[in-house]
Amino acid sequence: MTHVYLLYLLGCVVSLLLYKQNKIAAKVGFSISAIASGYGIFYFLMNLSGTDSFSLGENLLYNPTFSLDPLGNFFSFVVTLIAFASSVYAIQYTEEYEKKGSLAVMAALFNSFILAMLLVLSASDVFWFMICWELMTIISAFLICYNDSKASLKAIMIYLGIAHFGGMCIMAAFLLMANQSGSLEFSSFSSVSLSPVMGSIIFLLAFIGFGSKAGMFPFHVWLPKAHPAAPTNVSALMSGVMIKVALFGIIKFCLWLPVMEWWGLLIIVIGALSSLLGVLYALIQHDYKSLLAYHSVENIGIILLGLGTGVYGIAINSPTLATIGFLAGLYHIVNHAIFKGLLFLGAGSVLHATHTREIEVLGGLAKKMPYTAFAMFIGVMGIAALPPLNGFVSEWFTYQGMMQGALGEGIIPRFVFTFSVVALAVTGVLVVIHLKLYAIIFAGTPRDMKIWNAAKEVPFTMIAGMMFLVAGCFVFGIGASVVTENIMSVVTSFSGSYNAIPATGQIASPIGSTISLPIVAMVISGAMTLPFIIAVMMKANRTKPRETDPWACGFKYSKRMQITAGPFTGDLRRLMEWLFKSKPTVETDGYFGPVKYTDHPKDIWWNIFYQPIINATEKAADKIGCLQNGSTNMYSAYILGTLCLFLGISYIL
Amino acid sequence: MSSIFFMILQVIVIVLVAPFFDGVARVLRARLQSRKGPPDFLQTYRDIIKLFKRSRTIPKCSHWVFRYGPYTLFGTGAALLAVMPITYGSGTLASYASDVFVILYISAMLRYIFGIASIDSGNPFAGVGGSREQMIAVFVEPVMMTSLLVVMLLAQTSNLAEIQEMVRNGEIGYQMPAFAVASISFLWAMYVESGRNPYDLAEAEQELQEGVLGEYCGADFGLAHAGLILKQFAMIGMFLSIFEPWSFENPFLALFLFILKAGIFYVAAVFIDNFGPRYKLLTSFRSNAIAAFCVSFVALVLYVVGV
Repeated sequence: MTHVYLLYLLGCVVSLLLYKQNKIAAKVGFSISAIASGYGIFYFLMNLSGTDSFSLGENLLYNPTFSLDPLGNFFSFVVTLIAFASSVYAIQYTEEYEKKGSLAVMAALFNSFILAMLLVLSASDVFWFMICWELMTIISAFLICYNDSKASLKAIMIYLGIAHFGGMCIMAAFLLMANQSGSLEFSSFSSVSLSPVMGSIIFLLAFIGFGSKAGMFPFHVWLPKAHPAAPTNVSALMSGVMIKVALFGIIKFCLWLPVMEWWGLLIIVIGALSSLLGVLYALIQHDYKSLLAYHSVENIGIILLGLGTGVYGIAINSPTLATIGFLAGLYHIVNHAIFKGLLFLGAGSVLHATHTREIEVLGGLAKKMPYTAFAMFIGVMGIAALPPLNGFVSEWFTYQGMMQGALGEGIIPRFVFTFSVVALAVTGVLVVIHLKLYAIIFAGTPRDMKIWNAAKEVPFTMIAGMMFLVAGCFVFGIGASVVTENIMSVVTSFSGSYNAIPATGQIASPIGSTISLPIVAMVISGAMTLPFIIAVMMKANRTKPRETDPWACGFKYSKRMQITAGPFTGDLRRLMEWLFKSKPTVETDGYFGPVKYTDHPKDIWWNIFYQPIINATEKAADKIGCLQNGSTNMYSAYILGTLCLFLGISYIL
Repeated sequence: MSSIFFMILQVIVIVLVAPFFDGVARVLRARLQSRKGPPDFLQTYRDIIKLFKRSRTIPKCSHWVFRYGPYTLFGTGAALLAVMPITYGSGTLASYASDVFVILYISAMLRYIFGIASIDSGNPFAGVGGSREQMIAVFVEPVMMTSLLVVMLLAQTSNLAEIQEMVRNGEIGYQMPAFAVASISFLWAMYVESGRNPYDLAEAEQELQEGVLGEYCGADFGLAHAGLILKQFAMIGMFLSIFEPWSFENPFLALFLFILKAGIFYVAAVFIDNFGPRYKLLTSFRSNAIAAFCVSFVALVLYVVGV
């Protein structure tokens, strides 16, 4: 593992040394991170169920150790997997940023961002965990700065604000934990005995702290602002893996603490809410990158459903339930990383070619960018969990885990689990509507000819990065039994075990449902060939079709007649009016003039949760402001007063 | 391996027979509407054969999703039929694809292709039709999932072949109140999914529902049309597999009986779809869906409290 870390460090240093040769620095820097990631993928995969550690030098105050257990190896694997694709992608993509900032610095930051994430996963004491955690946040914030605009600055402030709050909660959870165990080393945490109240407080702090970074509801507001603002290769990493690192923290805490039933149920309820609300808000976005960011909220919800099942399984002492829950959660973590990474890279390619993030002006790009179109098609299929791609397998496991939970005794758990199953099913239906993400951008008639004419397919490495993840979608779907076997070796290191692979190619749940993805794939591909056979046997007229304009009821066809992203979800928006609080306006100008229709659905949680806090803070700042009166004497008086106060406190204690 | 053979057999036989029942339904519908209608039950075959001979026109803006749309629509319909455990039982190779979630997500694939093809055609009506199709799923899916969830929890498995055998052997069944109530709501979901009036109108090609078909012609149209008939058969098949699974042991006889039963359901639906106007999506359709969801919710509550 030190080799992998050193390679990233090397990438960081080398690209900084090449500061003067901007273009070369980017090429070299991103190539090194690609090599490091490629090496990392193999390394972490080979040592998945092993443990490894190294210590920094003795003279660093104390002797900090970084160690990886199987869980850490798994998350490191996910990080390097997506890092590889986005590094390859970045080699040519970043040329676009040549004028906006130093590419050398960007490559260095990119390398260190990955390194920081890997170090968070391997830190084994509170001090280094927090240092790396904050580094990860800060570096990603710097990377967002590359898209310099007012909106992105605001996004960074919101991101940092929530990250700050989350960091505070995590810090508090760690310190309480360390206080109880008497040491800052993680190794001492596992044996700590806590009172139920103390345990619950620590859990809630950690859950809120890590959850805010993961983007679960109601802390999701920063994702759709910060992720689209970043350069694409960074968005892919942020949305694909950074939010997963936070989930790593939640899992860690749940394994240390004496788990209680309601924690698991709470995680499941939050997960169900995140997935439903995430997808509903995603549906109404017109900016395709923030649409994808809302999707991350949804997928974090699905992952939380799995992890919550696992936590609940630990609490009720049911090892098989815990195992299927964690298996589902971890499987969806890697799957979401793959297809979300793919979709962000695809979205970045569209942005690269069209220079707009507004979905409504695109259209017909599949003819100009066939490879990107194919990649996005597979990505949307993956996120919609269509068999035999990867998303389906992990959702299947999630369903199975929740069903097993619903089989247990007790009315409340049964209700929670069954409702979450239904919520996940509804989420599944709503995600399919995201076909519009593909269809509006790539299909139909171009809505703006100027953009369409200027668009062209992206350069080679960008396509290569996407195709790597497209392959991932297939491999992690059809090769489900191999992947399950590997993830099981991780899960059994901290949880129970069951026979997840009864025979070659099959995967099973503890309650006995068994499917075989190769057979599903075979059935689907076999069925797809059937119509071709029929067409041949019936001697269908296969002459080349005439190409015309679409039929428009006898009127002359105009590109403004076709449906756009807004109306495609119009019925849904009207159905969910209470959630979006949009006030559509319609302006007509005679019979022949175009009708102007505006509609701005809102994320109502911003006004419910955040606006009051912001207002209160501003008000409080106004009031406190009078303390800062510019007089040095007063400031000395403050210091004196504080000293006296602390003396008094220490005397009383 | 024999199960794979039977799987292929059942798809091919149903593909061959399904247009016949469509023909029967059309004759019956015409009689109920005091029209003369097609001369015999074979009209759908003649239509499809005629369509296969015609040349085609396609919108020039479309790309491969639209152009291969009919093939993929037909393919997903056939895949749905293939995973119905009609001629094969649990434990066989083929039954490892016969999972409730596989079925739900393959039908999602059909909607996915349908939606993209509808937007890709560039046709104003097609897009609205594609959007409507998604909304119908939003209404139906909670009902369907809740009913199926009750069945799956009672059976403690999601494998359709196993569920079917349990119902056959009487391990679960109508003696359980939750199962009985779930059958009602699932019947509603199945009816809506099979695309009939008052929820949809499969025949109204120029109308909104099947707007996507408006831009297809010739062999493309024939295939897409046949694919939708297959999907309807598959949806009926799903209901039959769970709630009316009694059949012969012999696979050939089982297949024969299945086609007969599914055909009766397919034709009998004419008696419902012939009366009453089509529902508006956000008014009458929605209140219908809420009622059906309430029924499925009752089934769920019955399971949760352990009746």
